[in-house]
Amino acid sequence: MSEAKVSFECKNSLSELDKLHRNIEELGKTLRLSKKDIFQITLAMEEVFSNVVSHGYTDKAEHIITIRIWHQNGTLTVRIEDDGIPFNPSEAGTPDLQCPLEERQIGGLGCHLMRCIMDDVAYKRIGDKNVLTMKKTIGAAQT
Amino acid sequence: MNMLGGEFMDIKEIKQEDISIFKISGRLDSNTSPGFEEKILEAVEAGSYKMIIDFEDIEYISSAGLRVLNKTTKQLKHSEGRLILCSMQDYVREVFEIAGFDSFLPIVTTLDEALAEF
Repeated sequence: MSEAKVSFECKNSLSELDKLHRNIEELGKTLRLSKKDIFQITLAMEEVFSNVVSHGYTDKAEHIITIRIWHQNGTLTVRIEDDGIPFNPSEAGTPDLQCPLEERQIGGLGCHLMRCIMDDVAYKRIGDKNVLTMKKTIGAAQT
Repeated sequence: MNMLGGEFMDIKEIKQEDISIFKISGRLDSNTSPGFEEKILEAVEAGSYKMIIDFEDIEYISSAGLRVLNKTTKQLKHSEGRLILCSMQDYVREVFEIAGFDSFLPIVTTLDEALAEF
């Protein structure tokens, strides 16, 4: 599998998700990733991105969220940087998946999915930025 | 294409006697799920209580889509209705399992099986 990297910026708007999908699909083609890998990586990224867009900002201004993805030695790394309020998705509460439907609290589900799907999630607050690094071991290319 | 969901998701509702079958194609993400929610809850309010969502052409779902299904299931409980999902890709089904949604949402292999549930 070849080495590859991609870097792009999104505004803090959910409409930017299309850009996110497009970039991963292109990278997926370059790396010949399986549909499952593309799906899971996109899912992890969307959960982080939509959390930042929906809860990360206390003002109504436009902000830039920077996403870098690179592949090296069978591991795909995704780094998401935002200047929102400090938030560590690697420690966000896990929803109680066993409790009855009526009482189920749905918050935290996105972070739970992201942590289950990625092999490693690390968070750092650097200056005024949240820097989240997620890693996933990529299997052999499937068709 | 459904305007509410943007150009990446389309919903078709097919009635088979008193069963509503929703055929959705594309993505159920944070961007398209509000359109999906509006459409499906509209159907519940209009009296649909036997519902099937056909996942054959759904290539992607995130927690935003799962939230809509959770809400729909809760709404249907009031009318003693049921929601059954069918024809899911393996990797989509896996997300339902990780989320614990397979514990309260029946997921069957084919549309015929889903129809036979009612």
